Amino acid sequence: MTKKKKPVLTTLEREGKTLGLYMTLPAQLLLLFIVAFPLCMQLYVSLSWWGPLDGVKWYYAYESLNWFGNYGEIFSDAKFWGSLGRTFLIVAVVVPVEFLLGLGLAMLFADKFPGKRVFYSIMLMPMMIVPAVAGYMFFMLFQSSGPINDILSAISGTKVDTVWLADPDLAMISVMIADIWQWTPLMFLILLAGMVGVPEDQIKAATLLGANAWHRFWRIVLPRMKTVMIIALVIRSVECFKIFDILYVMTGGGPGVATKSISVYILDLTFKDLEWSYVAAIGLFILVALSLIAVVGIYYMQAAQKKAEA
Amino acid sequence: MASIELINLTKKFGDLTAVNDLNLVIPDKEFVALLGPSGCGKTTTMNMIAGIEMPSEGSILFGGEDMRTIPANKRDVGFVFQNYAIFTHMTVRKNLEFGLKVRGVEKSEIKRRVQNMADLMRLNDRLDWRTSKLSVNELQKVAIGRSAVTEPEIFLLDEPLSNLDAAFRAFMRTELKHLQHEFQQTMVYVTHDQIEAMSLADRIAVLDMGLLQQYGTPNEVYNKPHNTFVANFMGSPSMNLLPCRLTNGGGDHALDFGDAGTSMIEDGELMRRCKLARNADVVFGMRPEDIDIQPREVGRPGIDMEVSFVEPIGPRTVVHLSAGSHSIKVAKDKQYPIELGAKVKAEFPKGRCHIFDAESGNAIGLE
Repeated sequence: MTKKKKPVLTTLEREGKTLGLYMTLPAQLLLLFIVAFPLCMQLYVSLSWWGPLDGVKWYYAYESLNWFGNYGEIFSDAKFWGSLGRTFLIVAVVVPVEFLLGLGLAMLFADKFPGKRVFYSIMLMPMMIVPAVAGYMFFMLFQSSGPINDILSAISGTKVDTVWLADPDLAMISVMIADIWQWTPLMFLILLAGMVGVPEDQIKAATLLGANAWHRFWRIVLPRMKTVMIIALVIRSVECFKIFDILYVMTGGGPGVATKSISVYILDLTFKDLEWSYVAAIGLFILVALSLIAVVGIYYMQAAQKKAEA
Repeated sequence: MASIELINLTKKFGDLTAVNDLNLVIPDKEFVALLGPSGCGKTTTMNMIAGIEMPSEGSILFGGEDMRTIPANKRDVGFVFQNYAIFTHMTVRKNLEFGLKVRGVEKSEIKRRVQNMADLMRLNDRLDWRTSKLSVNELQKVAIGRSAVTEPEIFLLDEPLSNLDAAFRAFMRTELKHLQHEFQQTMVYVTHDQIEAMSLADRIAVLDMGLLQQYGTPNEVYNKPHNTFVANFMGSPSMNLLPCRLTNGGGDHALDFGDAGTSMIEDGELMRRCKLARNADVVFGMRPEDIDIQPREVGRPGIDMEVSFVEPIGPRTVVHLSAGSHSIKVAKDKQYPIELGAKVKAEFPKGRCHIFDAESGNAIGLE
């Protein structure tokens, strides 16, 4: 890459820049305190054995400095890797399903049909519900005497009394269903916005050139939605990685550790084991890992965009 | 065989009737222009032929075959949009290939045909460019090439030249003629520019308010307008239309222009047509280039007028004449020697006059 030449600024532009700095200073300071300061504190604590029961203030953590001891521990922590693995499993199942469902719904809603507005509002409702409440709802639905078993009984004709949330595999599936229910609308909304942005006259032109619905989707709509799709996938992947409320209310991470996600594991470490410096280390570790995922995603997005613009 | 027949074609959008009971036969391999002002229903007609819009009533036949159940992507028509609708996420080559690819044409054949089209459209050095980098003129060529490459028997063009600069428009006009000559398509061309229609089309269909006003060769439409709308719409400057009364001045007909005076009729053809008039209220029409300007002493039919304005517009001079509440335009050669305020006689030569019914606007006694 060639180095960019520094642009020559006029007096007016220079003044504008200075004014801009003053105007944004409060916001920048605020950001410094709510982002930079905690981050530094976390990094500092993570380098020690410090815990809340030591009777020492956090800034004296250097007294029990262990450098990268906590980070080393992460690699031999089977519980951590188990939780991380389960979290990745949830992301790997839930995000693609939400994506495909969202895409299908967006295609449906890109056309006109009677009652579209009403369905549209209904479609978006799950997203508006507080996740903990949604979790409680699904907790009730999946009870062994709950409506889901009732419906299955009615369909199959035999009495179904599956204990959904007590079976390790079924509990996982239940949690995934709940998350898909709640977050497909977001996927749908983002993808619909992208789909509506495809110029209609190009679709008409493609039709008149002999393209059927499949051709139009593959060759016109999809290539134009690439950027939006990557945004939707990155947002949902990062969000889903942090899955907590819905899962915690439904299963509390159980039965056993069957649905324990990384967030639940961190919660246990923090409030049951009081391993605060270790939690700080895990937090930073995950931050870096997630950032890497996001960076890769954004890189592909920008590459796609550049290709589209070039 | 790809003639197009429109039978009782009607399209309604709610209360608005965009196209009203249109009957039109476009013969195979002919170039027909749909001409009319904005909102006259010409684009709607085009969309119905293409199958983007379904008619409310009536039917469309291609080569005698009813198109009602054939979807737009199976009609095999080429369509050039006013705004081109180029696929901006593709290269020029990909744009040209599109129609062939979705038809499942063989790869080597696609390559050959795209190359031919690029040669024809002079797009060779642009083939691998992104379309976002092209000029409007080049986009236009891609749009036409993209449709023509599939070699459709019917080619529809919706005001394709209206966004181009004047020089390129003239160039594209001849290119389109060449294209039609080469591929022998049936071409339907929507435009609001009467000069474009006259220079390109074998036949012109003049539309207004969703109704067909006249359908004929450029010559017919220009020289024998069926009504005042067509008379006024064709030609620039447009035809002078003067409301007047038919009077019986001593057994013979005369035209009474009210405060502008009266003119005798010596023209036999005009006399014949005047005799067929049902009402005394008529509209007298004359093309600006057909009127003679003479000194007042000469005693041939015409009215005494005064020069009110002179427009020298390059190739010719447009002289505005007025008398009483009437005013007319006369087109003369360039540098026509005339002075403002000159008192002259506007003379109506034989065989060039038009006469319309004042109420209906229809031409009287047209053969």
